[in-house]
Amino acid sequence: MKKSTAEDSRSHKAQVVVDRLGEKLNRQIVGSLVACVHCGLCTDSCHYVLSNPGDPTYAPAYKADRIRKIFKRHYDWTGRVFPWLVGAETIMTDEELEELKDIAFGKCTNCRRCSLNCPMGVDFATVNRMTRGLLVSVGIMPEGVATVSKDQWEIGNQMGVLKEDYLETLEWMEEELQDELDDPSARIPVDKRDCAVVYSINPREAKYDPRTIGDAAKIFHAAGEDWTMPSDGWDMTNFGLFSGDDELGGAVARHLFDRVQELGGKKLVISECGHGYRSTRCEAPNWAKYDVPFEMESSVETMLRYVKEGRIKLDKTRNSEPVTFHDSCNLARSCGMTEEPRELLNLVCTDFREMYPNREENYCCTGGGGAMSMSEYTPRRLKSGKIKAEQLKATGAKVVVTSCHNCVDGLTDVIRHYELDMKVTQLVNLVAEALVIEKPARAPAVAEELPLAGRRIVVADDEPDQLLYLATVMEDYGATVYQAATGDEALELARKEKPDLVTLDLSMPGRPVTEIFELLRSDSELEGLKICLITGRPEMRELIYQRMEIPPDGYLDKPLSEDDLLRGVRKVLELSHQEG
Amino acid sequence: MSDFLHFSEHTLQEVALVFMTCVYVIRIVWFLRFAAGKERQGQTGSGATSPTKGFIYSWANVAMPWAMESTRTKRSLYVQFVLFHLGVTTAIGLSFVIPYAPGLLENRVLVLVLQIVIGLAFLVGVRRFIRRVSDPYMRAISSPDDYFSLVLLTAWFLFAVLAVPNNSAGGEWHLLTYFWLTAFFLVYVPFSKISHYLYYPFTRYYFGRSMGYRGVYPIRRVHKAKTS
Repeated sequence: MKKSTAEDSRSHKAQVVVDRLGEKLNRQIVGSLVACVHCGLCTDSCHYVLSNPGDPTYAPAYKADRIRKIFKRHYDWTGRVFPWLVGAETIMTDEELEELKDIAFGKCTNCRRCSLNCPMGVDFATVNRMTRGLLVSVGIMPEGVATVSKDQWEIGNQMGVLKEDYLETLEWMEEELQDELDDPSARIPVDKRDCAVVYSINPREAKYDPRTIGDAAKIFHAAGEDWTMPSDGWDMTNFGLFSGDDELGGAVARHLFDRVQELGGKKLVISECGHGYRSTRCEAPNWAKYDVPFEMESSVETMLRYVKEGRIKLDKTRNSEPVTFHDSCNLARSCGMTEEPRELLNLVCTDFREMYPNREENYCCTGGGGAMSMSEYTPRRLKSGKIKAEQLKATGAKVVVTSCHNCVDGLTDVIRHYELDMKVTQLVNLVAEALVIEKPARAPAVAEELPLAGRRIVVADDEPDQLLYLATVMEDYGATVYQAATGDEALELARKEKPDLVTLDLSMPGRPVTEIFELLRSDSELEGLKICLITGRPEMRELIYQRMEIPPDGYLDKPLSEDDLLRGVRKVLELSHQEG
Repeated sequence: MSDFLHFSEHTLQEVALVFMTCVYVIRIVWFLRFAAGKERQGQTGSGATSPTKGFIYSWANVAMPWAMESTRTKRSLYVQFVLFHLGVTTAIGLSFVIPYAPGLLENRVLVLVLQIVIGLAFLVGVRRFIRRVSDPYMRAISSPDDYFSLVLLTAWFLFAVLAVPNNSAGGEWHLLTYFWLTAFFLVYVPFSKISHYLYYPFTRYYFGRSMGYRGVYPIRRVHKAKTS
């Protein structure tokens, strides 16, 4: 009779994880797995630990041990001979893999702060990324990670921005720029060959924050740069960094690198994005096994260079609010970019205040490691932001600047959750604001039409203050506004008034907004109606975006400045106008 | 000196040492059989950083308690680390001095200094054990090997303190215990966490080189007066 072994009862996925762990091991990883002495010095370096006192399951060494024990049981002979002595254990079931997922994705943002604080040189962040990769390879991952990875594989960018939407956004930003500068030569060139600079962006900019594209274009124009943006292969972000999937990482990077080569670009400039810069500049050549033949730099370096070369002039008094700087983990702890943003900040604002600790010792924004796409961990993420909130508050600044899009979202959530009186912005926005451009003299317009004049908008929000604010801003810009406090009221008003646009808050009492959204979309009398979501809970995006056949026409994050609101609403309405 | 003590000081130690060396060689060969990951990326960061500067800085890190927040803010733990490892080095040295250069221990001042160094290491061992048992974070990350290695070393320190004078007039039990513990220690170490120093040069080399490539190491300490 055959004796049953552990292998016989191990689940297929667990067996694959065990086998693939062996394939992933290199000397650096093995070093990190065998060298930990459990001294506990890394414990207090983790923002999860500091914000969750008394829970040792957040300790970096504890988290690393979840994969270390499997390594020891199967690949380190001390663990095979004396498993009980060195804490070696195998993994048998899918439930155990789910527990590992909870640790690798839900209790660590791969910020690398513990790695820099380990006396032994154990790089837990790299071990954790490998663990994520193993789990992803057997399909065990948060839903958001699967969705984003799929978008990057299939559509070519991690937010699923369609080519036509991307190009439309560039056109729209170009028009805005030309209007602002009153200069038809201010352009956003697309697919121009043999340029000095090919500019790549984060899809978040095209989808939620087109202002950063416009601001970058303004700076390139002011500097007289010979630049272009690719119509395809423009996404410099790389979800492979977060998912641990080197194959995805390599494919995404090759797509971008090939496009720059096809265009004959001399230099790839990467917009302000921590993980995008790290992925593209540092990790991608390794994942893609690609020796990059052109230069790459962050837009922060580009802007600083323009100032130093006298290609742009800045008036720092235009940014007079107290400003602090948040170092992105990827830039500070994995790319050494700590001084350039500070140098630029001191040139672009009048009151820069350092945050403590800072640079490579700064705490994570809580949004790193792909955390913004894992809505199931949002409460945990926000709780772990306590230490970040305290750091921000202590600066007394009104504006926090960061060179990372994940940090923008992560910090915005922390600021909202901990009710801090701050806003988040990026260096590109500050530089564009301070840019001194001499406009040609022109006769003042006698009377300018308000930008929303003639528009009819139903605004739905259950918070009276918020409703009043949104309605007032839109009315001030000429719109006729109908206010609704529930989804049903919005539906009724839409059917009665036949507006151009309905803005919906995602979390209102009464019928679920997803249902209201479906009813508005399916009503034949409301054909052509534009719908824009406005919510303070970005984790709910998926409810609408990933599950509806026809997504909303726009999406705006609370809190909203007057400018952002107007810009977002105009974008939705102007697209409808163009389509009409 | 009895024959048994002579055997314990010489033959036993030599056999244990040879065994330890063999296992260490096997472990190093095993470790080096894993291919090192390669770096293709161009260097980032300022000119003050480089892969070479990175790994030198990384190796020197152990002597720069100010370099890491974890050692800068927990000074007592760093002091404990220094005392503990000084004690280990001294107690290992003692196992060679007693059999091969016993004359050195006729110097009473030297004996006292060695006893103080190893005695402090013993106290640190006790303190570390209390911390590992009482701190829930430490308990959560501790394996049986963590406890056993610490108890073993702490007990070894105690008998090393007693063995330093190399005086068997009142009996040989303390010397015998010290040398048998040393032998057990030599045999056990390659299988336990105590062999961490074997990997230390590699882990810090690779991490430091990578951080040097990325412009992080050597860390630039500018305007950080308020850093915790």
